Amino acid sequence: MPEEELLKIEELSKHFGGVYAVSGVSLDVRKGGIWGLVGPNGSGKSTLFNTILGLYRPDGGCIYFNGRKINNLSSHQIYGLGIVNSFQVPRLFFQMSVMDNMLVAARGHQGDGLFNSLFLRGGWQSQERELIDRALEFIELVELGKMVFALAGELSGGQRKLLELARGLMAKPRLLLLDEPAAGVNPVVGKKIFQKLQTLSKNGTTFFVVEHRLEILFNFASWVYVMDRGKMVTQGQPEKIVDDPAFYQAYLGAE
Amino acid sequence: MDLLLYGLDLLVFIGIFGILAISLNLEFGFSGLANFGKVAFFLIGAYTYALLSQIGLPFYLCLISGALVAAIFGLLISLPALRLRADYLAIVVLAFGEILRLIVKSEAWLAGGDWGLSVSPAISITGVSPRVDLLVNIALVFSCLLICFVVAQLLSNSPYGRVIRAIREDEVAAEALGKNRARYKVQIFMLGSAMAGVAGGLYAQYLQAIVPMLFLPIITFTIWIMVLVGGPANNWGVLVGAALVEVFERGANIAKDYIALPIDPSNLQYILFGVLILLVLFYRPQGLFKEIPIKTRALEAVRHAREQIKGEGG
Ligand SMILES: Nc1ncnc2c1ncn2[C@@H]1O[C@H](COP(=O)(O)OP(=O)(O)OP(=O)(O)O)[C@@H](O)[C@H]1O
Ligand SMILES: [Mg+2]
Repeated sequence: MPEEELLKIEELSKHFGGVYAVSGVSLDVRKGGIWGLVGPNGSGKSTLFNTILGLYRPDGGCIYFNGRKINNLSSHQIYGLGIVNSFQVPRLFFQMSVMDNMLVAARGHQGDGLFNSLFLRGGWQSQERELIDRALEFIELVELGKMVFALAGELSGGQRKLLELARGLMAKPRLLLLDEPAAGVNPVVGKKIFQKLQTLSKNGTTFFVVEHRLEILFNFASWVYVMDRGKMVTQGQPEKIVDDPAFYQAYLGAE
Repeated sequence: MDLLLYGLDLLVFIGIFGILAISLNLEFGFSGLANFGKVAFFLIGAYTYALLSQIGLPFYLCLISGALVAAIFGLLISLPALRLRADYLAIVVLAFGEILRLIVKSEAWLAGGDWGLSVSPAISITGVSPRVDLLVNIALVFSCLLICFVVAQLLSNSPYGRVIRAIREDEVAAEALGKNRARYKVQIFMLGSAMAGVAGGLYAQYLQAIVPMLFLPIITFTIWIMVLVGGPANNWGVLVGAALVEVFERGANIAKDYIALPIDPSNLQYILFGVLILLVLFYRPQGLFKEIPIKTRALEAVRHAREQIKGEGG
C-alpha cells in the first residue's frame, strides 16, 4: 500500500551568484515518520529547507505540498498549509519570554487579529489558557521548565536550539523541517527528543531532519537523503545507506 | 504672567505630545517601524481639523476626520514603503513629511500658505477667564490621551501585541510562523497615524491658528526623544518621556520671560536635549523604563501559580 505523498520536489535549483547551493534536487517525503537529510558542510541542506519555506525564491524546479504547487507562496502562507521550520541558527524573539516565543507560533490564535485583541478580550483568553498548557508540555519536553518566563535572549546556545525546536512543535505542523535540532544539545536530551519525535510522527506530523549526528539520526529515520555540493547523490534506508559508496564519497570527498 | 497659566499650558502640551509619543511607541517601540515622518501625520490632522472647522463642522467630527485622513495617508505611504528595507522606509517617510509641509506652505489656495489657517475653539464659552479655557482644553486633550493610552495598552497586552513584538524582533521568523507581516505593519502604521492625526487636531484647536512653521522635522525628532528617553515598548515610560521633554521645552520658553540668559533659550533647549540624549545613551540605553512583558489574564494566572510552587518548594 503506497503511503500518501506529502512533499514532492522536482529539479529544484537555487543559486547565489555563482554558487550553486542547490542544483536539480528531486525528492519525495511521504506522510508519517522521520525523514533524514545529510551531507557535508555547505552541501545545500539549509538552502533547500529555506527554499521550501518560501524564504528563497527557487531559480528552477517545483515544490509541491499535498499536491499543490507552493513555489510562489509567501512564507506565512506556507506556514498556513502546515510547513514549519526550525532554523539551524535559532531565530528566536530574543526580547520576549520563552512562553511568548511559544505562543507566537500557535496556530489560529483568535487574539492575533487587531479587532479581536481589542474588543473580544473575553473570547481569546480561554484559548490562550489552553495554548499556554500546550506550550508548557513542550517546554518541559525540552527541559526549559525553569525558564518559562525568562527572556529568550538569556538562554544558552543549547537552550536556544531547544526552544527553536519546541516552538516548531507548538505550531502543530504537518511537516516540520528540523535543521540540526540536536546540535549543541547534550546527547541524552538529544536522544530523548528524537524519541519524542518518533511518538509525534505517529500522530500526524512528519519530520524532515538535517542532522550531523548520524548515529542518532540513523536510529530513528525511515529514509535518508544524501546531498553533496548542491546535488542529491543517493538515498535509501539508513541501514542500507551505510553501505552505499556514494554516501562515503560525499563525506570523504572524491578520491 | 501667571505661573499657574504656564503650568496649565504645559499640561496641554504634555497631553498632545503624550499622544504622539504613544503613537510612535506603537510603531517603533512595539513593532520596530522607524517612522521618521511623524510630523506629517500631525500636520495632516491639524490641517484637516482647521479646514473642516472653518466650514463649521463640530469639533469632534473635525478630530475624527483628522484621524481618518491621517490614517488614509498612513495606508498610502506604508503600502509601498513597507516593502523597502527599514532604513529606506525611514528616509521615504522623512521626505514625505517635508514635502507635505512645503506643499501646504506654497499652495496658498489650499491651506493659507505661509499665513496658515485660523481655527475656532472647540467649546467656546464666552467671557470666561483663560484659566477655564485652559481647563477645558486639558479635559479634551487628556480624554483623547486616555483613549489612545488604553488602546495602546490593550493592544500591547494581547496576542496581537505579541505578534507585533515578534515582527520587531525577527520579521522573517514571524512570517515563517504564519504572521502576515505586511498586514500587521500597515495596520500599526494606520493606527499610529490616526493617533498622530488626533494630536494634530487638538494642537490646531488649542493654538487656534496653524502655520507650516509649526511642522518642522524637529517635531518628529522631539517625539523620538520622548520615546527613546522614556523607554521604547513601555507606554508609561514614553508618557514620562513626553512630560520630561515638554518640561524642558516649555521651561525654556518660560525662562525666556523671567531670566536674562547669555544665550537664546530656544538654543539652550536644544543643548539640553542633546545632554539628555547623551545621558540616556550612556547610562540607560534601553530608556528610563524597561519594556514590560506581555500580560494577559491567562499568562498572569500561570505566572502566579508557578511562583507559588516555587515559594512552597523553597
Ligand atoms: N544567503 C546566502 N548567500 C550566499 N551564499 C549562500 C547563502 N546561503 C548559503 N550559501 C552558500 O550555499 C552553499 C550551501 O549552503 P547551506 O547553508 O545550504 O549548506 P548546509 O548543507 O546547510 O551546510 P551546513 O551543514 O554547514 O549547515 C554554501 O556554499 C554556502 O556558502
Ligand atoms: Mg545548514
